[in-house]
Amino acid sequence: MAPKPKELKGDFWKTKDFKISIGDIIQKKETENTDEPLVSMGPTQKPSVTDLRSWDMKLLDRYEPFYSPLCDMCCLCTYGKCDLLGKKGACGIDAAAQQARIVLLACCIGSAAHSGHARHLLEYLIGKKGEDFPIEMGIGIDIEAPIMRTLIGKTPKKLGDLKEALDYVEEQMIHLLSACHTGQEGSSRDFESKALHAGLMDNLGKEIGDLAQIVALDMPKGDAQAPLVELGIGTINREKPVILCIGHNVAPGAGIMDYLEEHNLEEDLEVCGICCAAIDITRYNKNAKIVGPISKQLRFIRSGVADVIIVDEQCIRTDVLEEAKKNNAIVTATTDKMCLGLPNKTDEYPDKIVSQLINNQIEGALILDPEKVGEVAAKVAMKISKERSRTKTLPDLDEIIELAKECTECEWCDRVCPNSIPMMDAVMAASTGDLSQMQRLYNNDICYSCGRCEQECPRNIPIISMMAKIGEINLQDQKYNIRAGRGPVQDIEVRRIGAPIVLGDIPGVIAFVGCTNYPDGGEEVAKMAEEFLERNYIVVTTGCGAMTLGEYKDEEGKTLYERYSGSFEAKGLVNMGSCVSNAHIPGVAIKIANIFAKKPLEGNFEEIADYILNRVGACGVAWGAYSQKAAAIATGVNRWGIPVVVGPHASKYRRLFLGRTDKEETWQINDLRSKEVINGEPAPEHLLYAAETIGEATVMTAKLCLRPNDTSKGRQLKLNHYIDLHKKYFGTIPEDIYKFVRVQKDIPITYKRDIMEILDEKNWKPRKLPQEPSLMDMEGD
Amino acid sequence: MNERIIPWQPTVIAGPKQALMVTPETAKMMVKKAKRPLLILGPLAKEEPLVTHSIEISEKWDLPIVTTADTFKTYLEKGVKTKAYGVVEIINLLKDPEWNGLEGEGHHDLVIFIGGIYYMASQGLSSLKHFAPHITTLTLCKYFHSNADASFPNMKDEEWLIYLEKMKTD
Ligand code: SF4
Ligand code: SF4
Ligand code: SF4
Repeated sequence: MAPKPKELKGDFWKTKDFKISIGDIIQKKETENTDEPLVSMGPTQKPSVTDLRSWDMKLLDRYEPFYSPLCDMCCLCTYGKCDLLGKKGACGIDAAAQQARIVLLACCIGSAAHSGHARHLLEYLIGKKGEDFPIEMGIGIDIEAPIMRTLIGKTPKKLGDLKEALDYVEEQMIHLLSACHTGQEGSSRDFESKALHAGLMDNLGKEIGDLAQIVALDMPKGDAQAPLVELGIGTINREKPVILCIGHNVAPGAGIMDYLEEHNLEEDLEVCGICCAAIDITRYNKNAKIVGPISKQLRFIRSGVADVIIVDEQCIRTDVLEEAKKNNAIVTATTDKMCLGLPNKTDEYPDKIVSQLINNQIEGALILDPEKVGEVAAKVAMKISKERSRTKTLPDLDEIIELAKECTECEWCDRVCPNSIPMMDAVMAASTGDLSQMQRLYNNDICYSCGRCEQECPRNIPIISMMAKIGEINLQDQKYNIRAGRGPVQDIEVRRIGAPIVLGDIPGVIAFVGCTNYPDGGEEVAKMAEEFLERNYIVVTTGCGAMTLGEYKDEEGKTLYERYSGSFEAKGLVNMGSCVSNAHIPGVAIKIANIFAKKPLEGNFEEIADYILNRVGACGVAWGAYSQKAAAIATGVNRWGIPVVVGPHASKYRRLFLGRTDKEETWQINDLRSKEVINGEPAPEHLLYAAETIGEATVMTAKLCLRPNDTSKGRQLKLNHYIDLHKKYFGTIPEDIYKFVRVQKDIPITYKRDIMEILDEKNWKPRKLPQEPSLMDMEGD
Repeated sequence: MNERIIPWQPTVIAGPKQALMVTPETAKMMVKKAKRPLLILGPLAKEEPLVTHSIEISEKWDLPIVTTADTFKTYLEKGVKTKAYGVVEIINLLKDPEWNGLEGEGHHDLVIFIGGIYYMASQGLSSLKHFAPHITTLTLCKYFHSNADASFPNMKDEEWLIYLEKMKTD
């Protein structure tokens, strides 16, 4: 049975009165004295761990979990280690359930990282601005918080309103984490359902965090014209004192920018960042600079350019203190997530902390007050910069050659490199004076400076320091830009793309997200984005992925951000912001459901996800996903019905969701219009797919934009791109094309003859076109 | 420990069970014994001399070929018939005992891998090790794959090329 809406009374929340007229949405702004507006609440307000289980099972029936254990064993309790290869553990668990359990654990970690981050931000911002600070996203955005509206059933009006949603996330997370305990869940599918819930909580946590920072720190509010900001190691002015922020929390960086502004020091110091902290600081103040994604971390720290290193949370090297000491840089930790054994100086006078730091009385400081961080960082950087600039941090080029001569060709650097990079050959070439191979590995982050090779080298060859020095050869070339994270898509932009999406002029929305664990550097990812932009797709991006796209220039020296508009439109390259801004990706899919299909959001998860799965041609690409956050993000968007293509390293997440085109029964759909269950098509074919090469990923991404409700015109254009790309990378028209031709009108004109041949060969017959394809109300519901 | 049978990337060690290190002679025995073997070529098999070796080995033993990633094109251009699957797709099919094989003539009993990206191939082999007890896996790469049932050892190029040559004789 389809869930029945229930009428709930909105309490103190001033939910918008939602009225629909044909062809348009009329939303009545409530007035301050609106008395208990009625919200038509769907069946799953604040869904519990099991409330959306039936939806999950529908997904899992079609997209079965595919497991690749990274380890045969389990060592989670003292009965173990248990070897689960063809056997059960002492608690009774089998290998599939154990994989799913670890996936759940990873999703819990990722989700907790985002929600913990959101909690930090929210409390800090409420402290700064007050609970009543209004959540206003400007006239272009009526649906400020689409995820929250769907899950919590309410629209937040002020910062304080976000607390209820965050409380809900935290409650769910405790249940989910507790499900990982030994001796409970025994079904891999149920573990997956919980992982999907953890992913959903991740999405909500991120939305809360980003919304809070956008409004309270006045970041761009869906601004397609957000400024271009500087990106790249070459943009950092090494003559000035340099403060480097690493991590994800904007607060300390914002504290620094505020201090510099208040004291007219903006011109005197350089503030830059790595990872999402960098993105968010530039959303706050465009004078900050972005060094680059996580792949730059170790080599930039080694370069010694940063005088002060501020660390907050997530994706920071845990040996940052040890590394900083090598070149006398000063580290300040700023959140409870990462204290590094440093003395807590939060309540100390700033000048005293400064004095203790520069006189080496303490090896670093933990300061849990962003404003104080700002003052201390600026003062320390100014005081130590001159002195430090005289310290030599990296080997000279001729020293590199001498160091490389130490190499005994033992091959261990190659063997331990997670990316199987031929570092030994590069070192050997360097020993003969040829640095070009090391330079090739440096460029585009083919080597992402994880440092494992250096750790292993029996000759103690400082490979990372050598790479950092080699990177300095072409510093001038490492200057790029990126459009500052604009936050969500405006409702008005969604309305504008209605017709082109339906007609296939916009064949899909592709999201380039995630980290830089790329198998072969970042340039191929940027070129993939370029390929889709040229084909009229909308490309959205966030986080380190957004930086990767900025680090590529065409022959004229222009970056993608200079070449494509920042609007959510055909050929638009939309940088939404940091990791937490990923929430706006399912967010825009939800808006599409709400605006085009007039689907009410409140408490209506399943109907919205069903709509997205069957109708919104969106696909994520996380080519370098490495973190548990990335696992949670992908799992969350999967639950909303958005497929994701990941790179080869992501096979180490242990689980994918793969469809089986040979099992026709799994593709049946219910046409809600005709109330008939009919044979569907494998669209989208997979929900989480790992590709080996960028060519494979490109073709699969185009294919995963197909949806059962495509109009014939839209299908023609989508197939046209799929075929073009398949021809480019595989040399042929795809053999499975007949599966996606429902009626003759679906056939792209350019390829008509060839396709007709395939159709004849496959004994193809036209199929019914569903009007309202759905997985709901199917037998067994 | 014998360096030749520590997995090429040592950290892919998954547990007590390790692949059997095989010589070309044993590998050939396995192929001869198999009723329905299958050769899977990964993206590293897009480069010579591996293309020629792979083709010649497949011809010698009459092995149907699956190409993963976008490796298909290389073989298409050589006029060699292969079937393209994503590596995760073909492994997903192989682990299903109900699947009827590449030609619909029955499941495969031996799956031979060449040219996969090491760390991803290792994951795929782990899937088959755990969830496809009906299949034996053999890798002919120049790296020891501990998650396979049988694997060549870690080798230098010269030795490996000799191994591949030997795979083309009876
Ligand atoms: S949790 Fe279960 S499988 Fe893991 S070590 Fe304990 S008893 Fe063994
Ligand atoms: S730093 Fe890491 S990625 Fe780079 S070569 Fe060494 S091990 Fe490989
Ligand atoms: S680990 Fe060190 S000594 Fe061994 S090959 Fe690599 S650089 Fe040379």
